[in-house]
Amino acid sequence: MEDLLLEYLPIIIFMGISGIIGLVLLVIPYFAAPSKPDAAKLSAYECGFNAFDDARMKFDVRFYLVAILFIIFDLEVAFLFPWAVSLGDVGMLGFWSMMVFLGVLTIGFTYEWKKGALEWE
Amino acid sequence: MEIANLPDLGPIASELTLAIGGMALLLLGAFRGDGALRLVGYGAVLLFGLAAVLVIGQPNETVLGFHGAIIMDPFAKFMKVLILIGSAVAVIMSLNYLEQEKLDRFEYPVLIVFATLGMLMMVSANDLLALYMGLELQSLALYVVASFNRDSLRSTESGLKYFVLGALASGMLLYGSSLVYGFSGTTNFPSIAEAATGHGMPLGILFGMVFILAGLAFKVSAVPFHMWTPDVYEGAPTPVTAFFAAAPKIAAIALFIRVMMGAFPEAVAQWQQVVVFISIASMVLGAFAAIGQRNIKRLMAYSSIGHMGFALVGLASGTAQGIQGVLIYLSIYLVMNAGVFCCILAMRRAEGMVENIDELAGLSKERPVLAFVFAMFMFSLAGIPPLAGFFAKFYVFVAAIDADLYALSVIGVLSSVVGAFYYLRIVKIMFFDEPAEPFEVPLAREVSIVLTLSSLFTIFFFVHPSTLISLATTAAASLSSGAVAVVGH
Amino acid sequence: MYQAIVFLPLLGALIAGLFGRSIGDKASRMITTGFVIISALLSWVAFFEVAISGNWTTIHVLTWIDSGAFEADWTLRIDTLTAVMLVVVNSVSALVHVYSNGYMHDDPHKTRVFAYLSLFTFARLMLVTANNLVQLFFGWEGVGLASYLLIGFWYKKPTANAAAMKAFIVNRVGDFGLILGISTIFLTVGSVEFDTIFAQGPALALGTFNFLGYTVPLLETICLLLFMGAMGKSAQFMLHTWLPDAMEGPTPVSALIHAATMVTAGVFLVVRFSPLFEFTEFASTFVVVIGATTAFFAATIGLVQNDIKRVVAYSTCSQLGYMFVAAGVGAYEAAMFHLFTHAFFKALLFLGSGSVIHAMHHEQDMRKMGGLFKMIPLTYFMMLIGTLALTGFPFTSGYFSKDAIIEAAYAAHNPAHMYAFALLVIAALFTSFYSWRLVFLTFHGPSRASKEVLSHVHESPSVMTIPLIILAVGALAAGAFFSSSFVGHNFEAFWQTAIVHNPTNHVMHDFHDVPQWVVLSPFVMMVLGFVGAWYFYIARPELPKEMAETHAPLYRFLLNKWYFDEIYNVVFVKPTFWLGRLLWKIGDGRIIDGFGPNGLAARVLDVTRGLNRIQTGFVYHYAFAMLLGVAALITYFMFGGAH
Repeated sequence: MEDLLLEYLPIIIFMGISGIIGLVLLVIPYFAAPSKPDAAKLSAYECGFNAFDDARMKFDVRFYLVAILFIIFDLEVAFLFPWAVSLGDVGMLGFWSMMVFLGVLTIGFTYEWKKGALEWE
Repeated sequence: MEIANLPDLGPIASELTLAIGGMALLLLGAFRGDGALRLVGYGAVLLFGLAAVLVIGQPNETVLGFHGAIIMDPFAKFMKVLILIGSAVAVIMSLNYLEQEKLDRFEYPVLIVFATLGMLMMVSANDLLALYMGLELQSLALYVVASFNRDSLRSTESGLKYFVLGALASGMLLYGSSLVYGFSGTTNFPSIAEAATGHGMPLGILFGMVFILAGLAFKVSAVPFHMWTPDVYEGAPTPVTAFFAAAPKIAAIALFIRVMMGAFPEAVAQWQQVVVFISIASMVLGAFAAIGQRNIKRLMAYSSIGHMGFALVGLASGTAQGIQGVLIYLSIYLVMNAGVFCCILAMRRAEGMVENIDELAGLSKERPVLAFVFAMFMFSLAGIPPLAGFFAKFYVFVAAIDADLYALSVIGVLSSVVGAFYYLRIVKIMFFDEPAEPFEVPLAREVSIVLTLSSLFTIFFFVHPSTLISLATTAAASLSSGAVAVVGH
Repeated sequence: MYQAIVFLPLLGALIAGLFGRSIGDKASRMITTGFVIISALLSWVAFFEVAISGNWTTIHVLTWIDSGAFEADWTLRIDTLTAVMLVVVNSVSALVHVYSNGYMHDDPHKTRVFAYLSLFTFARLMLVTANNLVQLFFGWEGVGLASYLLIGFWYKKPTANAAAMKAFIVNRVGDFGLILGISTIFLTVGSVEFDTIFAQGPALALGTFNFLGYTVPLLETICLLLFMGAMGKSAQFMLHTWLPDAMEGPTPVSALIHAATMVTAGVFLVVRFSPLFEFTEFASTFVVVIGATTAFFAATIGLVQNDIKRVVAYSTCSQLGYMFVAAGVGAYEAAMFHLFTHAFFKALLFLGSGSVIHAMHHEQDMRKMGGLFKMIPLTYFMMLIGTLALTGFPFTSGYFSKDAIIEAAYAAHNPAHMYAFALLVIAALFTSFYSWRLVFLTFHGPSRASKEVLSHVHESPSVMTIPLIILAVGALAAGAFFSSSFVGHNFEAFWQTAIVHNPTNHVMHDFHDVPQWVVLSPFVMMVLGFVGAWYFYIARPELPKEMAETHAPLYRFLLNKWYFDEIYNVVFVKPTFWLGRLLWKIGDGRIIDGFGPNGLAARVLDVTRGLNRIQTGFVYHYAFAMLLGVAALITYFMFGGAH
């Protein structure tokens, strides 16, 4: 048990260091940087114009759809790299497992194509 | 070639069937378009039937697969058959509804198939990873189904709530799993059981167990992890609610039992306290909160919270007898639930579905048979003999008393008395109130068949209960016989 | 035969009660009356068989209760005492049934009254044939029930309902004592069978028990408790208030229940338990005091009452006091004899009054009668016979039985015997006075009734007068005929062991040898009473009014029945109502309902509302609840030390 936990010691140290650096960077400006706010400084500024409308605006849902579809295939590629590197070790079982995985993804891809999810209009 | 070390696929034959069949149905639907709902729906029912046959064909002994990550035993067989029945009924009940509500998209049966696939994997899980995989597969499909009526604000809201809270619950489960793994060094249930023996159980494993319990309690919607249930039940389309109330609950309870009895058999004293607590809390809250409900689906949500509390009474006893009680409880609950939702589906007027219980007023005058059957289900849910619901409660409480859990039994019986109030109020509204506008739309044929079968089962269960009881006994025995301790590599 | 005597009335009651509507009122009347007549005839056969020939028997009907040490069977105990009671009950009952055919002729609910009458008869027979205390109690309560039903027969009349309830409730007080007595007997003797209990009499007399630190003699307590039951049923002093009110029932009912049979149940009980009472000192003295007081007190009230039935009712009350005095001094035979003869002449008086009332179209106030003897001569004649018998005119039956009691009271050695003797002699005077007052006011003098009523006055039909004649024969002859058997020199052969005497008790022999003035005193009193009544109501009819005015407080005191109803109203009824209302409004309504059903329901709703408020619909609240749950569980395991 001790050994197991010791293996995670570097991670703890890493988390500690990153936390300290982040805090320090946040705290130093608080004391060091000059802070003299006025109305002009606090107002919204957009290329020399006053703001037209709220910064929170409606966004076409199709962007999300494309993003989600992208992530799926992005992850697929992310899986393919380690698989390709270790193909010699995982053998036929590994090869066919990935084939099944790709097959399932292909079915999903077919579905989204047929449903028209890839068409913008 | 090394094709020889392909794992034995026998134990997961039914899961494979559902996976391949589900994808086939997806393609079929994608190519046939939205008119394919009935075709895909019946295909899904066929798949469930095939899977059930494959499950029943499994040997009546404990078989491990995938290096011990998957387990197949009579307990899993029993639960899987129940889940498959529940899913098949859910699909059958929904077809007509979806067509009438202009929701006839073929994805619905496919999603149910995938959710069911996840449930079967949960039931067979013998490893924290297999558990999580099955759970997430099930949950993701259910999130989508909950918001299936995507043009309805309530439906999408319910799906979103379910998703957010489900994610939180999954997070707790994963956190617990990682704690357990961290302190035991394994994810395999029997190995965890070895690591967590007796008084030497590390606090980390105990904490991990509590977190896993919390995650599972969310899935069975036990108090205090129940908050999503009423909102989701109310918002989701009615057949979806019917599905939610049955199959996923059974799978979650199965997983609950599997984890507690498989991974922490030596920590009964610890998890028993937690289970007793959430069981009491669920029974009491289910009974009390339901009284204030006017919406029948919301009422059924609290009812199902209460019923899960009763089922957990059996688990709390921690004995084979208790597990047997749970199995009987779930079987009967599945049938009653299907029947009640068939009745709710009948609450339809020309302008659409109605969900307020006051709309049932005077039903006995317009539709005497329907009112009678509805009343029978209400009596059965309240646990009034000689209806099936009485036996369900009877077996879990006997087990609890045999395990000396007297306080639990007394509180359980008392809360079932409180609960009887709102069931009987529905009966009173149907039989004694001034008639409201009648429901003129007749039930679809397939729904009527489900209603008939479930009401016959509920009313005449007492005539021949022994088959179900002996099956449950076998299933419960397989779990505590120690067979799970053997890890096959 | 004995089964037939007991169960025929039950059969009749069931037929008339359950099927009265379908078989019609005529058939029900015929069936009930016929059955009771058969039963009455058989009773006379049984009387000669049992009492005269001495063939006692017990008949086992069926096993009733057999629970551990507690055994009680349905057994008919047929001894002389039972046989006498059978005759009294069934004869009067049969005559009342016949009479009711005429009296109730215009009532729309005739079948009901016949069913009740037969039911009452059955219960009364059950009481007298009982062979154990439980069976006796069954009959005891059965007559109570029938009495309640019959008093409240005209249930649309609020006064009848109130009277029925009063009778039932006052009797409950006595029954409470009876139950305690029965329980005490079972506790100490271990049996409720009469024979077992009676055999223990002398032994029980030595026993004591502890009650709240006091040592209490056992047998005295048992007998006092039993007598308490008898006081209620026989309307003795302090528990008498129900009897006059019970006159709200139909007159034949009054004759049957409140004169001849039911009210004598208390006397019967004391006589039946002579094997116990004989060995008590205090309890039997108490019986004497209560009996004598009742005899005197009821007679004083009878002097001023104006309702014809109430006069007879107070007379009944008074005569019952005579019987208790006899039982108390150990002359049980005399008590039974008076019971026997009293049944005849009192039933005669009641039925005669009924005939008068019937003739006067249900007018009961004697001030509105007078001069009726010409219009209803037969009734007048019968009433005269009844009055003679009641006042103890020589050689009528009352003469034998009442004088026997007065003499026994003088001859006895009971501590209270002179008190009893004095009161009984005075009561005899009053009895004579109010009886003749009744006759004079009703039948003599100028008529005070309205012309319209007078024009309709008519003699009753023969179905009503024939029972009167039969009873008149009994009232005249029963005393002379049975005197030697009941109280004369043959009494030991007649009663055998049905009545037990303490070896030191010789009152049954001694009372024949009292001084001559004692023998004469009741006769003198009777004559004085007659003369007084004649003087007041015939010679100087204005005198009573003057007397009432000069002695206004006394008159009011008597007219208002010694203010017993008013006192009870203040002491018992009002506080009971107050307590009842308190328990109802506060105890039941606010506390039991408030914390019980209603309160629970309200709390349930509160909980429900609270739970529904938690269900806000906000995801972050839900998530917060989940996290709280996990945190609570973890905290519990960290600090609860559950591992």
